[in-house]
Amino acid sequence: MTVAQVQKKASLPQVAKAVFWSFLGIRKRRDYETDSVELKPQQVIIAGLIGAALLVFTLILLVRLVISKLV
Amino acid sequence: MSAVIDTHGHGHTDHDGHEHHPSGLMRWVTTTNHKDIGTMYLWFSFTMLLIGGVLALTIRAELFEPGLQIVNPEFFNQLTTMHGLIMVFGAIMPAFVGFANWQIPLMIGAPDMAFARMNNWSFWLLPVAALLLISSFFVPGGAPAAGWTIYAPLSLQMGPGMDLGIFALHIMGASSIMGSINIITTILNMRAPGMTLMKMPMFVWTWLITAYLLIAVMPVLAGAITMTLTDRHFGTSFFNAAGGGDPVMFQHIFWFFGHPEVYIMILPAFGIISQVIPAFARKPLFGYASMVYATSSIAILSFIVWAHHMFTVGLPTAGLLFFMYATMLIAVPTGVKVFNWLATMWQGSMTFETPMLFAVGFIFVFTMGGFTGLMLAIMPVDVQMQDTYYVVAHFHYVLVAGSLFAIFAGTYFWIPKWTGIMYDETLGKWHFWLSLVFFNVTFFPMHFLGLAGMPRRIPDYASQFTEFNQIASVGAFGFGLTQLLFLYIVLKCSVLRKGEKAPARPWEGADTLEWTHLPSPAPYHSFHEQPEVK
Ligand code: HEM
Ligand SMILES: [Cu+2]
Repeated sequence: MTVAQVQKKASLPQVAKAVFWSFLGIRKRRDYETDSVELKPQQVIIAGLIGAALLVFTLILLVRLVISKLV
Repeated sequence: MSAVIDTHGHGHTDHDGHEHHPSGLMRWVTTTNHKDIGTMYLWFSFTMLLIGGVLALTIRAELFEPGLQIVNPEFFNQLTTMHGLIMVFGAIMPAFVGFANWQIPLMIGAPDMAFARMNNWSFWLLPVAALLLISSFFVPGGAPAAGWTIYAPLSLQMGPGMDLGIFALHIMGASSIMGSINIITTILNMRAPGMTLMKMPMFVWTWLITAYLLIAVMPVLAGAITMTLTDRHFGTSFFNAAGGGDPVMFQHIFWFFGHPEVYIMILPAFGIISQVIPAFARKPLFGYASMVYATSSIAILSFIVWAHHMFTVGLPTAGLLFFMYATMLIAVPTGVKVFNWLATMWQGSMTFETPMLFAVGFIFVFTMGGFTGLMLAIMPVDVQMQDTYYVVAHFHYVLVAGSLFAIFAGTYFWIPKWTGIMYDETLGKWHFWLSLVFFNVTFFPMHFLGLAGMPRRIPDYASQFTEFNQIASVGAFGFGLTQLLFLYIVLKCSVLRKGEKAPARPWEGADTLEWTHLPSPAPYHSFHEQPEVK
């Protein structure tokens, strides 16, 4: 697979999936090979920041839930 | 990972044979060569390691017995503070920048770093900063004594030594930022044709991410210490409660820098280990992509865990829980890495030369540090252990057996390429085993001391702690002396130039460009023509 051959644009779910797995730090070889060809760095960075924000948000929700059970 | 390489080998002599750089001392002062600068970084950091080590041994000598024997309490506080600052900013960080300077251009097939003159400047700032920092011992009131974290309000109350420390940190921060810009630009713009990002050696990846972390957080540290400085001299009250300021805010700002900082000190270590393990297991790195992803993930997550250093300052329950959960999550990608190294070794045809010994030692002992980190991350547990020797044990397991062992592994791995001479394998093995044993003798008892309640940063202690402290002190002197052996081994290759001549590729399993395309020692100017990577 050459770099020039594929300049397919990655779809939104594809970016989201790549970033999700990156948070766990696990990625199938086949998937990352398509990632590395199709994803643009900007996409990954933006998705990563959104992912981090979502994670923070989820944790806050979780914390709220736990605390509401306490009182 | 293994990039297949086009071998139109160029045995590379200097094509026109002239080397118009000054000789003697001026060569080093004016050099813009990445290899010279890398060498200077490494020697600088080793010097700082020895100075920081002497401070540490003074601490351990004082703690050999309860009561005050050798130093007074004020000076003791200066010792712990300066030991921390010197080791973090003077020894560990510059050592990794030294590796970056030597190895990144060689591993991506670039002729030098992107900004060669700035490279010289980033290095030469360091000795100046170090002199400022160390000279603080000799001003009235002595050196900074508020801990390496220079917490307010102590940092606001000290003499001029604190100002010297602040300026030194500013300068080192500037040096780090310039170094990072250089590293990022080099990696993004100067890779050999065909070396796509996902073909880069893992060491280069980890440094790329580390450099971004540095650029993100060094200015935060600069902000915190500048605010300390203006509080001290210009009438502001950012951190001064008497003026309406908030000392706890200092901790928030400091640790927003500080936690990413600990990853700055471990990611390049992960990179070195990820080069060494595949080379001696003779297998490609297992899960290369996972490693890249895990490293980025660690970098991002490292920004949302800082208050795990502040579980006892009175945060609201919601905050305590948030930072506890977030911190425990960060252990997942770290665990992935350890798993990948183990999987790389699995069924490999392994040999255990010194670099591999240090790498395997790293995995064992660093992982223990990771586990104690997890325990400290459990907030109700940390409330007991915060500011005890348990924390000291934790971070020495990750920083000494982690970062420092990786630096040793990398030095043994690449010194044949750097000097053209093989290191003494027997002595290297001695260095490893003595370091491993003395390291554990020194720091393992500190877990028990911490659990039993011995506070950190004190010159005197209750008598029930005596035995474990004596064991630790004996271990520390052993560890310190062992490092002189390392000095000798390195000098033997680099200055005395005694030992077997190193072949271009002494490690058959090593397949990055510096081994496959360059002779040993790597010529002063390499990759004038970039190699083609397929
Ligand atoms: C599994 C990953 C890790 C976790 C969960 C973790 C967790 C923690 C926690 C909760 C503390 C605060 C303890 C206290 O003050 O009460 C701490 C302190 C510390 N950690 Fe870690 N840690 C991890 C990895 C690392 C690594 C890789 C490094 C550096 C290479 C590191 C360096 C430090 C340092 C220097 C301190 C002490 C700072 C100070 O108070 O002087 N940690 N760690
Ligand atoms: Cu931390």
